[in-house]
Amino acid sequence: MLKIRDLVKVYPGPVAALQGISLDTAPGMFGLLGPNGAGKTTLMRIIAGLLEPTSGAVSFDGADVVANPRDVWAQLGYLPQDFGFPPHMTGEAVLRYLLKLKGVEAAAGTKQLVAQLLERVNLAHAAKRKVKGYSGGMRQRLGIAQALAGDPKLIIVDEPTAGLDPEERLRFYRLLAELAENRTVLLSTHIVEDVSVLCPRFAVIAGGRLVAQTTPAEARAAVAGTIYEGGVDAGDLAEFEARWRVTQAILVEGRNRVRVHVPDGGPPDGFAPIDATLEDAYLVLMREAARQREGAA
Amino acid sequence: MNIGRVVEVGRHELAFTVRRPMLWVLIAILGLLVWGLSAGGVTISSGDSQVGGTEAHITSQFSQALTLSITILTLYGFFLAVAAGMAIIRDDEHKLGEILHATLLTPAEYVWGKFLAVMVAFAGVVAAHLSLAAFFNHALADAASAEYIGPFSLANYIVPALAFGLPVIVFLGGVAFATGEITRRPILVFLFPVVVMFGTLSFLISWSPDWLDPAINRLLMMVDPSGYRWLNETWLKVDRGVEFYNSGAIGFDAGFILSRIGFILAGLAAVVASQRHFARSLSGTPEPGRLSRFGQAIAGRVWRRSRDAGAVITVAPTRRPLADLSMTTVPVGFFRTISTIAASEVRELLTRPGLYLFVPLIMIQATGNIVTSVAAFDAPALLTPGAMAGQMLNTLNLLVCFLLLFYMVESLQREFSTGFAPIFYSTPARTRAILMGKALGTSLVGVVIVGAMMVLCLVILLFQQLAHGSPVALSAWPFIVTWGAVLVPTFIVWCSFVLAVFGLTRNRYTTYAVGIVAIIYTIYRQVFSDGLTWLTNWLGWSAVVWSDMGLFPLNGGPLLWNRLFVLSLAVLLVTLAVNWYGRRDHDPQRIFQRLQPKALLWSVGRLLPALIVPLGLGISLWLNVESGYQSEGQERLQKDYWRRNFATWRDSKQPGPEHVELDVELDPARRWMRVEGTYRLQNQHDVRLDSWAMTPGFTEELTWTLAGEEFEADDRAGLHVFDHPLDPGETVELDFAYERFFPKGYNRTGGGAGEFVLDAAVVLTSFGPQWVPMIGYLEQVGIDEDNSFEPREYPDDFHEGITPNGFGLQGRPYTTRIRVTGPEEFQFNSVGVLTESSVSDGRRTVVWESDHPVTFFNLVGGRWDVREGDGTAVYYHPEHTYNIDEISGALDAARKYYSEWFYPYPWQLLKLSEFPALAGYAQGFPTNITFSEGIGFLTKSDPRSQAAFMVTAHEAAHQWWGNILTPGRGPGGNLLSEGMSHYSTLLLTEQELGEGHRIETSKRFEGRYANGRRVDSERPMVKIDGSRPGDNVVTYEKMGWVAWMMMELIGRDQMLTGLQEFIATYAPSPDYPVLQDLVATMRPHAPDAAAFDAFVDQWFLDVVMPEYRLADAAVEAQGDGWLVTATIENIGTGSMPIELAAVRGVRFPELVEEADADADPAPYLEARSSVTLAGGESMTIEFLTDFEPETLIVDPDAIVLQLRREEAEADLTTN
Repeated sequence: MLKIRDLVKVYPGPVAALQGISLDTAPGMFGLLGPNGAGKTTLMRIIAGLLEPTSGAVSFDGADVVANPRDVWAQLGYLPQDFGFPPHMTGEAVLRYLLKLKGVEAAAGTKQLVAQLLERVNLAHAAKRKVKGYSGGMRQRLGIAQALAGDPKLIIVDEPTAGLDPEERLRFYRLLAELAENRTVLLSTHIVEDVSVLCPRFAVIAGGRLVAQTTPAEARAAVAGTIYEGGVDAGDLAEFEARWRVTQAILVEGRNRVRVHVPDGGPPDGFAPIDATLEDAYLVLMREAARQREGAA
Repeated sequence: MNIGRVVEVGRHELAFTVRRPMLWVLIAILGLLVWGLSAGGVTISSGDSQVGGTEAHITSQFSQALTLSITILTLYGFFLAVAAGMAIIRDDEHKLGEILHATLLTPAEYVWGKFLAVMVAFAGVVAAHLSLAAFFNHALADAASAEYIGPFSLANYIVPALAFGLPVIVFLGGVAFATGEITRRPILVFLFPVVVMFGTLSFLISWSPDWLDPAINRLLMMVDPSGYRWLNETWLKVDRGVEFYNSGAIGFDAGFILSRIGFILAGLAAVVASQRHFARSLSGTPEPGRLSRFGQAIAGRVWRRSRDAGAVITVAPTRRPLADLSMTTVPVGFFRTISTIAASEVRELLTRPGLYLFVPLIMIQATGNIVTSVAAFDAPALLTPGAMAGQMLNTLNLLVCFLLLFYMVESLQREFSTGFAPIFYSTPARTRAILMGKALGTSLVGVVIVGAMMVLCLVILLFQQLAHGSPVALSAWPFIVTWGAVLVPTFIVWCSFVLAVFGLTRNRYTTYAVGIVAIIYTIYRQVFSDGLTWLTNWLGWSAVVWSDMGLFPLNGGPLLWNRLFVLSLAVLLVTLAVNWYGRRDHDPQRIFQRLQPKALLWSVGRLLPALIVPLGLGISLWLNVESGYQSEGQERLQKDYWRRNFATWRDSKQPGPEHVELDVELDPARRWMRVEGTYRLQNQHDVRLDSWAMTPGFTEELTWTLAGEEFEADDRAGLHVFDHPLDPGETVELDFAYERFFPKGYNRTGGGAGEFVLDAAVVLTSFGPQWVPMIGYLEQVGIDEDNSFEPREYPDDFHEGITPNGFGLQGRPYTTRIRVTGPEEFQFNSVGVLTESSVSDGRRTVVWESDHPVTFFNLVGGRWDVREGDGTAVYYHPEHTYNIDEISGALDAARKYYSEWFYPYPWQLLKLSEFPALAGYAQGFPTNITFSEGIGFLTKSDPRSQAAFMVTAHEAAHQWWGNILTPGRGPGGNLLSEGMSHYSTLLLTEQELGEGHRIETSKRFEGRYANGRRVDSERPMVKIDGSRPGDNVVTYEKMGWVAWMMMELIGRDQMLTGLQEFIATYAPSPDYPVLQDLVATMRPHAPDAAAFDAFVDQWFLDVVMPEYRLADAAVEAQGDGWLVTATIENIGTGSMPIELAAVRGVRFPELVEEADADADPAPYLEARSSVTLAGGESMTIEFLTDFEPETLIVDPDAIVLQLRREEAEADLTTN
């Protein structure tokens, strides 16, 4: 069980990246959704023991991550948002090196294990190539392989599908889902689809605060029947946005296809109700959070 | 190329460079430097150092060039390389490349924009540097500095900057820029200037033995990026007088100008190369060249094979669960982590091209220094394993520490630079293990270098054996023990220090700066300041002296404790590094909380286990140093001695010894001696001595017995005063007894010692109070910079009447009886003849009695083999047989011929004993010469240099010039000892080895004199008292030469007859002679008294220095013969008859090295003419030869001392 209590992180500036986050996650996949700059990566790095919080507590299975980060490193698989590998090492060498540092062993031997892990992330063909020659997607897959290695009880993956093609993304989803069956997997992303597909529960974070903690179904249910879609001419969009809670506006063939959230009253003229998606729910939440922040300010 | 875009790139780069703290740190350092230099401490070695004399201006063009050439290389180098070399790497690390190059910007605009910005920035630094220098020198100058500050001249600052600064800045900047761009490896960028700096400082500008071929010297001047060597060799080495330097402008020759243009072009060419490389890398064009094509071929084959195997990127969805992999996690062991990290580091390092570049450079640097090292009188040193290990220690220490600094920092930085850090540091590996693994892996580089150096040294020794027949045995032991004991702990503590600094600062550049400053400060303190102690000398810099005669005989104990201290410090530093290391980014507020007193106390408490050992060892070292014989307490005692006694006892009359009786018991293993002795003292003056004094050294357990009764002398801070009147001629017996450890305790920080009782050997002399009490007050005790005084001024007629002796105990020669007891395996030599020798209970007892009076005495002991000669014996370390034939032969010849030429040798035996290289001197005590092993025994005595012969001949000559004839006290005294020994050496060289060798030796002496003299402060020889810079070469080399010239003037037989009369007159006399007495004795022997007087006026009473130049040297056939014509000019001073020889062929085939020797050399032919030219005169000469000469040589027999002899020779062109 991962427990986060009143977590605050203030960077010099000062910039309050986290403003009192409290969160409990049980084993299984847990999503952390939020816009860029919301504080997700800061939270991930604190949980991974790589960043000291200003105040607050983080524990995993009773171990105090803030005081003794090494306790969590022993059971952690971590795929950061931004990472690289020593460019002059081969993919195989990098993985073998990390397996040794993590103490990962296998009955078939480390060499075989490395080969199998690389195969799982579809990098077997590039095992002997130096990492500096890898594409962005290949580097991401190597990162995934190392995060999966061993038997980590906590896996933290920060924006893991960035740079993956659809096929690889599906493969990764499958891997994560498999892993989440008997451990805690913390998935930080701003891609709603990732959460929608994978996470039975997720939290939304914005401006360093926890905005919501829910399930995809509950989130969708919360906005069900309040989402409408219709068309708005390009020249009228600004005026339309001033009147309505627009969640999406996409210019298609010279005319905006617009989705609006109408919690009360009737929809705009020409708009029809549609099934709410998790993305709609997320965007509504973000609008509400922004409005609350503006109100507080 | 669009200039606007170049300027835009340059503007951004310049703005970045100017904002960097690094640049301002450099300017601050330069400001401090020029402020310090404005005090006048560093300037050209010219001028008169005496009060009121004209001094060299620090503002002259020469002086500015001197300091600027070194400053730019040493201080600018690293900063410049970082600014230039990191310009493109930094964009790479920030991933700006693709964005930038998606614009219209071309590679040329990008590369030149960046490079020019760096150049502009450093041009600004130079401008600031010069402005500050001018400001401190001229605006802040006060009256006290007027003597070394000249009038302001802009050219004095600008010309050196353009000639010496600009080329090296463009060169270093360009090459660093290209290094960074092409390799993208920061470490190569950082190391490059360090390698250039050390290569230049330690070899290019400093290695210049007299025997160096002028062509090679010229080549080295051309390739020296600093330009210092050219400046020094062309203008400074031979002093041209202070007026010349203060007011003159540097004259640049074509070679220098070409060299400087070459460096600029090389720098620019490097930028062009990086521009092309950059363009290729952008367009993806592979590198041209064989290697690349080979690489492409291999890559193509691999790709085809992969394609055929169908292995290329096929998405094969797996259905197998991860559980199938059966992964388990085990705790990561501490040592396993260390080995894993270290192995990875080593693999990483092995892929670095820098390793293969810099390691050989370090090896070349270190071995280059040793191969070109010189021994006494600039003779090439013999390479032995111990000498190599000892002499390479500092170079290796320094260079490898720099290399480790760079590799260590880059290793620590790597995870952060590559983005690997969050993955790497979230593994459960312990931080301590990670850091130690990195340190171990990096240290292995040091170990590999040291190992490779050892192998290289052994290969050099083997080559020396095979190619030159060197008898030196191969042995790895000196390398293992010296480098193992000193270098390994240094590398460990250094890596730990770098870890800690990086952990604290988390900044690559700050760590570099701190590391470089730490090393430079350490060496500065040790070399230029008051020195480090065993507590602070973490580098082990110059801490040990290798001797084949015993393992670290003087400093083994302190070294052990110092190394243990250093290792314990390493543990503490690693602990601190672990605490500070940025594996997890700390929160600033929590850091502040940790600095609260309670938390801080807790942190310190946790450090205690790591703190206790270094603290204990450090305190122990400090106490030992403070109680040692070079401690501040000892200095205070000596200062007190000076303070209480200088005014009252300096010129006091003292009794002289009639007889010295000593009973010495030695225990070398404990460094202990007990001395009981008797001086029979006599008042040898014509006045009554109411009281007299002894200086027994600072010893506690001392008893005096005067005339058979125990006596309590008045102890005046170490000067024991005896209120016991002595009438003229009256004698009294003074007994003394004491025991002491010598040396007692630790010295300050290693190095050597002149006298000692050690397990390796014993060396004791009557020159100081360490062994026996000295009679009277000792002038040099307690003198330092604070209380040094101007040398005594002697009147011109000071030598008239009775002149006291210049050396040894005051008074006339006396007799000695010295009884020595020590370990059986030792032999003990002292002055005189061995009258008793016995061994009992493992103790050897010998008695040496003087068979003719002596003026000083010594005792030397060791475990030796003996080579008996004809009335001579050489006592040497059993392994040092290399030059034993030459030394023994020279000793035999010296005894025989000096006895014939000067005075019959009055003692039975002439001994020469070797002692460990804890000191580098040789001393000629009566019958008992001592040689350090580095002198003669370990000299590379090739047929050309005959160095062992030369040194032996000189030291043996002191039996006559120093012992039989002891010079008087005052100016011109010591010249009779050292100069006449040099003259004797020339005589013996010609007698035994032939004229060719004598000429070579004369030229070597002449070169040493020319390079060491100070034109403005040089006084006539009769005034030389050793107090001024340059006096040394006058005392030795010039006097030796002038004596030879005197012999040429008056004839050999007359000269030797005169010298015999001189010694016979003064040896038994209470009036000790100085140079004027020699001149007076020789004058009657001169066939032409007027010529003799003119000669004396020039060479003894005045300072002259002829310098000859030839012009229009030509030869044309005339009848059956050849007419040689030339113009000869004496551009120096003095008037001497001089010969010219038109020659053909090789005169002395025995001096031609085998490799250059023709199998059947052409016969040597010569024809001579002679002229006499006063200073400034020139003359056209013509003379006929019956053969076609090739070369015209001035002074072919080297009988007229002159400057720049090599330029007084011309090839004859045929008309």
